Amino acid sequence: MAKYALNRVLRGVLSIIIVVTIVMVLIYSLLDRNLIFASDGKYSKVHNNDKEVYKYQRWEEFGYVDYVPFADYLQELNMKGEIDMDTRLEAAKIGRKETADSELTKQYVQKFTEYYESQGYTVKRLPAKMMSAKKVADGGKQQLFAYRDKPLISRLWTYFTSIISVDRLSFAEEEIEDRGIKFTLHDPVYGGDKFAPAIIGNGTRFKYLLYTDSEFPFIHQNLISISLGKSYSVRQGIDVFDTMFDPQGSYKYTLTTFPTGLTEESADNLHSASYVPGSIESGTAVVKDRFNDNYTSVINNKNAKSKVGFSFTIGIIASFFSYLFGVPIGVIMARKKDKLVDKIGTVYIIFIIAVPSLAYIFLFKAIGGAIGLPTTFDMENMSWLMYVLPIVSLALPSIAGLMKWIRRYMIDQMNSDYVKFARSGGLSEREIFSKHILKNAAIPIIHGIPGTILGAMTGAIVTERVYVVPGAGNLLTEAINRYDNGVIVGVTIFYAILSVLSIIMGDILMAIFDPRISFTNKAR
Amino acid sequence: MKQELVNLEELNMPEEELFSRYDHDSLESEKITAPRYSYWHSVFRVFFRKKINIVILGLLLLVILFAYIYPLIANYDQFAYIMLPGSKHLTPAKAFAFHQDEINNSWIEGIHWILGAGQSGESTFDAIWFGSRISISLAFICALINMTIGVLIGAIWGFSKTVDIVMTEVYNIIGNVPYILFISVMVLIFSPTFWTMVFAMTVTGWLGIAYFIRTQIIIIRDREYNLASKCLGTSTPKIAVKNLLPFMTSVIVTLVATEIPLYIGSEVFLSYIGMGMADRSLGKLIYEAENAMLTPGWQFEFWSPVAIASIIAVVLYVVGQNLGDASDPRTHM
Repeated sequence: MAKYALNRVLRGVLSIIIVVTIVMVLIYSLLDRNLIFASDGKYSKVHNNDKEVYKYQRWEEFGYVDYVPFADYLQELNMKGEIDMDTRLEAAKIGRKETADSELTKQYVQKFTEYYESQGYTVKRLPAKMMSAKKVADGGKQQLFAYRDKPLISRLWTYFTSIISVDRLSFAEEEIEDRGIKFTLHDPVYGGDKFAPAIIGNGTRFKYLLYTDSEFPFIHQNLISISLGKSYSVRQGIDVFDTMFDPQGSYKYTLTTFPTGLTEESADNLHSASYVPGSIESGTAVVKDRFNDNYTSVINNKNAKSKVGFSFTIGIIASFFSYLFGVPIGVIMARKKDKLVDKIGTVYIIFIIAVPSLAYIFLFKAIGGAIGLPTTFDMENMSWLMYVLPIVSLALPSIAGLMKWIRRYMIDQMNSDYVKFARSGGLSEREIFSKHILKNAAIPIIHGIPGTILGAMTGAIVTERVYVVPGAGNLLTEAINRYDNGVIVGVTIFYAILSVLSIIMGDILMAIFDPRISFTNKAR
Repeated sequence: MKQELVNLEELNMPEEELFSRYDHDSLESEKITAPRYSYWHSVFRVFFRKKINIVILGLLLLVILFAYIYPLIANYDQFAYIMLPGSKHLTPAKAFAFHQDEINNSWIEGIHWILGAGQSGESTFDAIWFGSRISISLAFICALINMTIGVLIGAIWGFSKTVDIVMTEVYNIIGNVPYILFISVMVLIFSPTFWTMVFAMTVTGWLGIAYFIRTQIIIIRDREYNLASKCLGTSTPKIAVKNLLPFMTSVIVTLVATEIPLYIGSEVFLSYIGMGMADRSLGKLIYEAENAMLTPGWQFEFWSPVAIASIIAVVLYVVGQNLGDASDPRTHM
């Protein structure tokens, strides 16, 4: 069994890697990269050489190319101590034309070209665009830079190696006194009197590596962090994983005691404090009043759920109701085959299968609106009534799906030998149905339960869009519409992991429920 | 009984006339005397036995007639009335009043306005039939391509064990790539035209069908009659065509019945999330008229395409399902 499970997990991981590869090839190689400028206001404002440079800068931000301007190269040499500041500034002055370069510049341009061309870069030199003999045209300044398309292999390698990162003591590069980890039973965030165990690091990226609070699951950690890819346009600079799991809404103020002892109503979550080099020296008075070390970057507490939180709440309640209603109705339909109940149920199933999902969701919205239920989500005034329509819209179709399959499986089982045997043995129809047929017919349904639960996290695109739910369902479409490649890859890998997990968990659950199913070859 | 027997002597006939010699015909003796059975004839006999099917088939023909013939006659221009003040977002009654002159000239013009006017002052009735033509064509073409590729590959997939191992892995991997990602990347790479949409919906769409067919093939592949056939030396292609295909017909027809409404549904869905094609298909109409849903007096613009999409999908589905039932030879008794 362990060998089998390991094999499954390895194949799942392989499958995820291939999916990410396919998606990266699709978006980084096949997609026209000029598309990202379609809705870019600044693109139409820059001209000539600046436009060209701007294009490469943006492509670098979106992850298409590696881009190195000549000035950056010189700065790097300067940092390494190979050249001094004067040489750097002097060499950076490239001429309007290649022939107009000074000797020093020529020498470094030569070095730059050789170095980057050996790395597979293309070096591009744009001579100045002149308006007249003396005057440079708008944005026409001469440019020199090197670029190359990021190779797929290195892209994949960087991506997969940076998914999971473990915090380390050497994170802060500066000199720090008493670098180390300490364990305390009295978390200073709670004033230092209350019993609250915490592990506090100094020199690590996060100050609180492990802490407790009053929110589920009560013990939290910052030691291991997951990053699925930086967003560029959807939420600039924020990781997809955080976008999906960070709380949303307006600030939630609580009485907070800052490290300096200042106590005030604040939305800052001190447990999320992370290291920003030199922030306390260069910080404003506001920062200096509150913090006494470089752990100044905090996340704010917000009062609403995260994207995944909303999707999951709606999805899980909808799944619960669909199992609650779908399974018994399906059983009744199978028992009363070709009777009125069965016929009404079949009409309902046909309605759900055939009518486009958008149409009946709008229908539910119109009906719900007519009877006074809120039809749109509003994070400022949360009420449970807002959840009713999205849940109904999600549950009604899945009830139909469950009804259809339970009915089908039960009817298939009804003619099997064991049922005839049970009947001839004198069992009542009720017993046959509830104790024998249902148990066998439920196996494929049970296989789908982990998928339903995990699938609830990914959200429902149409439902969330129609009811303006701030959930995770629309993240992918939003990212596609805004060409946010980082988010597309991040969401895809999130979906792929959930899907692989749910299939494996479904198989395990099925094997637990039905002892006849075995994944080892020996028993057979 | 005795009275019925004829006394031959009463007939006064010579013996030669009473009996004639009948030669043994080996070809004739092979024929089995049973009522003539034609498969497709029986399918339609069973199909038309249910009266509801005739009604629904009539409805389907009406829809197809309107979707394909009406656009040829109607002179539809989305922006014909865009400059006319007061021509936009009209209820049927107001539209009739607004276009009174045309209707007075020829009463047949009135048909354009029975569902009111849309956001550019165009006739909603015309718009939904032009949209239906695009949506139905898309659904049929996608179904044709996907079914052909899916059934062929599914059959090979089910027959060959080596292909099975490879294809199952491919299926598991492709299944994890979000479907809208494929479609939207296709739509972004190429321009959002009708054929791009067809390509996007078929590039991975056949996989699901092939997987379904593969499972069906595996179920019946090793049945006794196929083993017997194999032992008697029938070639694999012949087994596939003569033994398996008849068994699969009802499965395939049922599958087509579920697929076609699905394509109409996904086209509506894709248009709604903004990944659809540029043509004004039903999905595009719904997407454009979304704001009209709750605006008093504008509802016709929104609910007409929704209703027609639903009707087309339901009718196609029911006809397909019943045809699928009828094509199962076990119902032919």
